[in-house]
This record gives sequence, C-alpha cells and structure tokens, in this order.
Amino acid sequence: MLDRILELLKTSGADGWEVTDKVAETWEFYLIRHALDQNRVRKTETVSVRVYKKSEDGKFLGSAGGEIPPTADEKEARRLISQLLLAASLVKNPVYSLNKPEEIPGTAAEKADPAEIAGEFLRVLQDLPETETEDLNSAEIFVSSVRKRFLNSEGIDLTEEYPSSSLEAVINARRDGKEIELYRMYNSGTCDREKLLRDLAETLSVGRDKLIAQPTPALGRADVVFSTVAARELYTWYIYRLDAQDKYCGYSDWEIGKPVTEQAEGDKVTVKAVPFLPNSSWNSRFDREGAPIRETVILRDNVPESYHGAQQFCRYLGLEHSFIPSNFTVSGGKRSAEELRTGNYLEVLEFSDFQVDTVTGDIMGEIRLGYLHDGDRVIPVSGGSLSGTMDDFAKTIRFSRETRTYDWAEIPAVTRLTGVKVTGAE
Amino acid sequence: MKATFSPYLNGIAPGIKKLIAMLRKHYDYVSVLSTDSRGFGISISQKSKNVSTETLTTERGNVVRVYRNGQYSEAAFNRFDPERPEDTCREILESLEKQRKLLENLQVRPYETGLLADEPETLLAEMETERLPEEEDMAGLIGKLTALSDLGMEKGKDLIDCSVRADSTHVSKMFLTEHRDLRQSYVYSDGSITVTGDNGERTEMAYDGISGRVGPELFDGFAPVLDRALEALKDLLRSERMEPGEYEIIASPGISGLIAHEAFGHGVEMDMFVKDRALGAEYIGKRVGSDLVTMHEGAKCGTTVASYAFDDEGTPAGDVTEIENGILKTGICDALSALRLGTEPTGNGKRENYAHKVYTRMTNTLFSAGQNTLEEMIASVSRGFLLRGVRSGMEDPKHWGIQCIVDRGYEIVDGKLTGRVVSPVVMTGYVPDLLGSVSMLGQETELDGSGFCGKGYKEWVKVAEGGPWIRAKARLG
Repeated sequence: MLDRILELLKTSGADGWEVTDKVAETWEFYLIRHALDQNRVRKTETVSVRVYKKSEDGKFLGSAGGEIPPTADEKEARRLISQLLLAASLVKNPVYSLNKPEEIPGTAAEKADPAEIAGEFLRVLQDLPETETEDLNSAEIFVSSVRKRFLNSEGIDLTEEYPSSSLEAVINARRDGKEIELYRMYNSGTCDREKLLRDLAETLSVGRDKLIAQPTPALGRADVVFSTVAARELYTWYIYRLDAQDKYCGYSDWEIGKPVTEQAEGDKVTVKAVPFLPNSSWNSRFDREGAPIRETVILRDNVPESYHGAQQFCRYLGLEHSFIPSNFTVSGGKRSAEELRTGNYLEVLEFSDFQVDTVTGDIMGEIRLGYLHDGDRVIPVSGGSLSGTMDDFAKTIRFSRETRTYDWAEIPAVTRLTGVKVTGAE
Repeated sequence: MKATFSPYLNGIAPGIKKLIAMLRKHYDYVSVLSTDSRGFGISISQKSKNVSTETLTTERGNVVRVYRNGQYSEAAFNRFDPERPEDTCREILESLEKQRKLLENLQVRPYETGLLADEPETLLAEMETERLPEEEDMAGLIGKLTALSDLGMEKGKDLIDCSVRADSTHVSKMFLTEHRDLRQSYVYSDGSITVTGDNGERTEMAYDGISGRVGPELFDGFAPVLDRALEALKDLLRSERMEPGEYEIIASPGISGLIAHEAFGHGVEMDMFVKDRALGAEYIGKRVGSDLVTMHEGAKCGTTVASYAFDDEGTPAGDVTEIENGILKTGICDALSALRLGTEPTGNGKRENYAHKVYTRMTNTLFSAGQNTLEEMIASVSRGFLLRGVRSGMEDPKHWGIQCIVDRGYEIVDGKLTGRVVSPVVMTGYVPDLLGSVSMLGQETELDGSGFCGKGYKEWVKVAEGGPWIRAKARLG
C-alpha cells in the first residue's frame, strides 16, 4: 500500500510531499479492583500524507495533509491525493524549504513486545502494598509497539520502532464510612516497575491524609511548593514561549539573547531539548518532519538561546537546522529540596487539573490535597484554588538541585513560587 | 439533502457479516462497529494557513466485541478484506487467545457480566444537511475564511492575529450483530475564531465558537462570532485580577453548560457507579439542587453535534431526566454498565473512535429554562459577577468538587454592572452547594457544541452542553 501511495505522489504534480506510515499493535487491560473489566487488542496502520504546491511566481508554498486509509484502493488513493493537491494550491504561505536528509545521531530503540510489558504492568498492580483501608479502585493499561517510517520528497527515509505505554490508576482510601479517591496517570516507554510501585505506595499513603484534610483557609498570597507532575506545567510555559510558531505569529515577545525577566531575584532557568530520556514515551531520533533531534540548550540562565519547532516557522525565523523537540531537561537549582521546604508555605500534592496558559502565563488549579506548613504545624488541606501569572513568578521562582523525571521532562524535584493567590474553601 | 451513507461501509458489510458468523462459532455474542467518517479542517490566520482532510472525528476502521464465559473482549483493526474475512477472524482469535493465556497465568479473573441481548432490528438513518463537506467549494470557503480573518484585523484594536477554524465531518457508522443491522450517517460542523491582542502591557487571547449538526453552510453565519470574540478580547485586555471570595454569580448559558457538564454530568455517568467512583450513586432520589434545577441529558435532547440515531453499541438515542426540581432521578448508562447495574442502557455508550473502548459518555447536557429575564437577575445581585466565556473544566465525580475555569467576570454592585472586568476566574466548590444555590433561571436554553469532552485526561468525544442564564452563589478565585 505504501509503495503505491509513494508512486502516486511522485507522479501527482506535487512540488513536495511527506508520508508517515505508523503501524501499531496495542494491548489493553481494564480492571475494576483486580478483576478484568475488559481486554482489548488493536492492530492499526495509519498513513498520513502531506502534499506541497508552490504558487506560479514561486513566492508561496501551500500544503494540505490527511490520512489515506490502508483499505483505500488505487482509485480512492489517487482521488484523496488529488483533493490534497487542490487544497494545497489554495493555501498561500510564504515559501520555505522542507527538511533534507541528514545524519541522525543515536541508535534506534528496540522492538517491544506488548504482551511482556502489559504483563509487567499487571504484576505491578498485583504487588501493590494495599491495606484494608487503602487499595486499588480501578486501572487501565495501554501498551503499544509502534513502527514509524517517515519519507519525504527530499530523500529522507527513516524508520524506527519504539514502545509506548500508559497506566491510569485510581486509588481509594477510607475511614469512618468516608471514602476518597486519588487519580494517577503514568506515561512511559515500557513498565518501570520500581518507580511505579514506589509512586503508587506514596499515593496510598497520601490517601490517608486526604481523609482528614481540612478546608483550605483563604491565605491571600502565599508561597506554594510544587513537587509533583504539576510542576512540569510551570516549565512548559518557558518551552512554549520559545516555540518558533508562537514567536513568528507574535504570541511570544521573547528574544534570543535578552533575559526573559528583568528583575530575577530567584533561580535562573536553563532548559535543554534532548532526544532521549530514560523510559520516556516520546523518545525519538527524529521529529515528525524528519529532522534529527539534537541535544540543544534553548534557554540558559533565563536567556533564550534558540527557538524550536516546525520547519515552516523555523525557516521563517532563519533557522536552517531546527527540529520539533520531544523531551526536555530543566537544570536543578542551588538549594536542596529540604532547604526549599522551610518557613511557611503550602505544598500542593493533588490538583483537579493544574493549568498554565502558555500565552498569558496565567496559572490556575483547584486544590484537592495540600499540606499547609504553618510554623511547626503541618495541616492537610483540601479545596480552594491557586492563581497568578508566570510573568510575576518567573522573577522569584526557586527550585531544587535534585531533579525528577515525569515521562518527557526532567525537572527540579521541588519548585517554590512566591506570592501565589490562594482562594480558600472555607 | 440526505447525508448519504458510506458506499465503502455498504461494500464491506457482507464481509463483516461473514466475519460475525465465523466468530459466533467461538463466542456467545459478537458485534462489529464499522466507521467511515470523512471531512475537512481549515485554519486560516494572518501568519499561517493550513488545510487538512482530517478532523478529530474522521476515521475508518472496525471494532469487534465478543463475549464468552462472563467476559467481554474487543479487537480493533483498520485493514479488512471483505473477500477474506477468515484472515481477520483468525487474527482476532489468535490475539485474544494470547491475552487470555496471559490473564490465566496471572490469575486475573473476569468481572462477571451477563450476555447482551441481540433482538432483530434494522435501521438506515440518513440525516438532513444542506451541503456535504466532501462536495464543498474549498476555494470559495478558504477565500471566505481569509476575508473574515482580514476583517477581524481591520475591526480589532491591538490585534496580533485573528485565526479562523472551520471543521466539517460526514459521519457514517454501521453496527452489525447476528440479528441487527443499524446504519446511520449525518454531517456536523464546528468552527471558532480566536483573536490575540497585545496592548503593550499584556497579551491576551479570546475565543468564540459556532457548531451544529449541519454541513459547511454553518460557516455562512460566522460574522457574529467574530464580533463576540473581538468584544471579549477588548474586555480581557482591560481586565483586572479576581479578588478571591464567595460571590453571587450570574452564569451565561455557556457557563451554565459548563456547570451542567463538569460539575454534574460526569458524576452521573454510570460506568463510574460500577466502580464506586461516583457520589451520585448514593443520591438517587435525594435532593442535589434547588427546586428550580431540572437537567436533561441525551442525544435526543437537541439537534447538535452530539445528536445521533444510535450510540456506538447500537443503543437508540435517549432523553434522560437526570434532575427534576432538584431531586436526582437517574444517571446515564452504556450497555455493559447497564448489565452490571441491572438497569437499561440510555444510548450513551461512546468511543473516541473505532479503536477505543466504550465508556458512558455525555451527549447533550442541559439545564431546563425558567421564568426570569437577565435584567431581573442583574438587578437582584448586590455584589457579584456575571460570568462569560468557557476556558475549561474538570470533573470530580467521587467528591463532587468543581473546577470550572471561566474567561471573564463582569462585576455587579447593587444591581448594576460596574464596567469592571476580571480574568481569569477559577470557580470551585461542592456541587450540591452550587446547585442548591440556584435562585433564578433565564427563559431560554442555549446549547453549544464547539468543544470536546475527555474522560479524565483522555478519550475525547464530541458533546454539547448548555442551559439558560442562571443566578447562583459560588466561590471564585
């Protein structure tokens, strides 16, 4: 099928094309407590095609993309490509060049066996340190073995295979007739048994505290400590501000060589794009446009060094060798996690959905479980919300020298923001 | 005109029926959902233009559901040769047998479930549309959207960009079992305008949308959407920060819908009852809101992007009264959860696409209207905010917590809008407290279907939600 599509593209009259052929086998298990709700298997092939057409004067380059179903016969495939070509001819974007073949550093990941990995996830759930009052409510396991091939009209032809997994786990804790739940979603390459067991055991323990949590008091402005995956959202703001599309479209005013905040009293942030992180579900040697992913510092000590992103927008910014990053590391700070956890502060362990608006920098999230450190007292609290803006927090942000990895990002294990508005639940 | 049913699906139907017959020799129940949904997605901004033949719901593939020994299993695939169903049958049997062996080795027992009924039924529902996405004049539409983006830049102040998105999907779904043959096709479209502005002090982004179970003719009505988005941006650029506290609120129909959907709708999805993950299960027959609160849910509750003839398990569309005069009556249910709970399915079994599992999902979720005018509501507020613009929400069925992120709050003092705007507004609280505080309702219900809904952080499906203007009390931050 792929060969047929490639032949059709070569003779279609397109000025350029890209094809991504993704074949995946996925095993899924759904559990209610430890009983099997449902088992599922998926075997799919997705062929995504993008065609490019230049305007007659050569000033514009239009593109249009879409899937060609693997069940399409030649007539249907030809019709779909013609539709794309027509659509591309109607799109007027300033002309840019497609990625060309380059040496791809690193070695490809090995083929994964979904049966083996899914079995490991099931064993983790069976080995949870459950008690009479803290246990597993339900879980969903997804394990994929993916083979991805990317080709374009410039001669790029790359293939790699990789595993991709996720585990959704819901934990219950109960006391005196009251029951609460905690939700966890883990994305990874394969199953990291030790890490999962450690984190889920912590979750079981945290559940006990949520049962006795008091309503969050109205704190006005307070220092807030982030020590979970929610902290990744804070650093995502820095990453998006350096996205070439955001820059080109005017959504970001950050400039190379100019500090991102003028009065930085806190720690200065350094962000690096990397092709691989241990067990990341986003590990890849090349991006979705066939460009090699290289280790690149994009922000050093609060000063932008490089934009990143899609070839179209990078070319518009004058970047020839660019890529769409997948994994990131944020360097640790000067203080230990312990030093950051001093004085009065609120440490939030559970949000309903913590968000950072990448354009405005607004942060927001409802508190489902926090620990209020007030002098010598530590009070579990629940309810209320956080708000504020990263434009302000970037001036005083502090983070630990210890780091922790959440799937595609290695970030400081503890981050402390100052002057966060805390709405109480009382 | 009719949204014609997919010729591709008609072509593979005999092969799928043979596959079902082959699998029935091994299983007590076999169903297949086959899909073939085509469409387009266009986004036009000042700096970039993109066209795709995909939307979030275009797809082509099949999913088989089988039952044996109290256990349901599924196999999804998108390669199928109708002339050789035996190949697919063999592959499914082998894959599911491998999984069975792994589960047996690990001593994972099934959550025992009864057998789904398979009463004879035939249906072909081809719904009305004015135009089809596959026949749309793309040059004309792209020109129109480009002109709209240009007009936005002309009309707006401090604008960086005006981005216009238009998606249209022609859905075809076929549900087959040994005795059932259901086929439906319809077109839905949705679009949005996002304007981004910078006044030298800050950058803000405002959004407004349009949707309907109609064809690309929907985009002829884009002009008022642009005006609303520009007005919202103007307000955002002069907005102040919210002072946290409990306030009287007047929720716009969009925010009412967000409350209906996030605060309550997810809490009565009955697959969560099966797992003991919803507090709602304990409140059936009990008060959860003021006398004024009546809430409906179902694909038959309106003609929107979320309205269909049957769900992804072949259950006909429903209209469920979830809350009547403040009393929780019932929830919504997919077919397997209904078997487990000993109740009837309500037509709410939905998949993200053919490759995904069925969950109980919302369709159209809405509060019923009341008797009050907006003017009466504003006049009744001593200190509070009129809330407009949906950003996002997150469910919490187990504890009935609320997280709704609202774009803008317009201050009301002593019954009058002061002109002061705050943004963003995080609305939190406890669902029965919020619904219990509903004290006035507007006279008309409006439904909006421009967004998608996830279950947790995944499984995105099209939904619509709405209500009238509502006066209540809420904690805002």
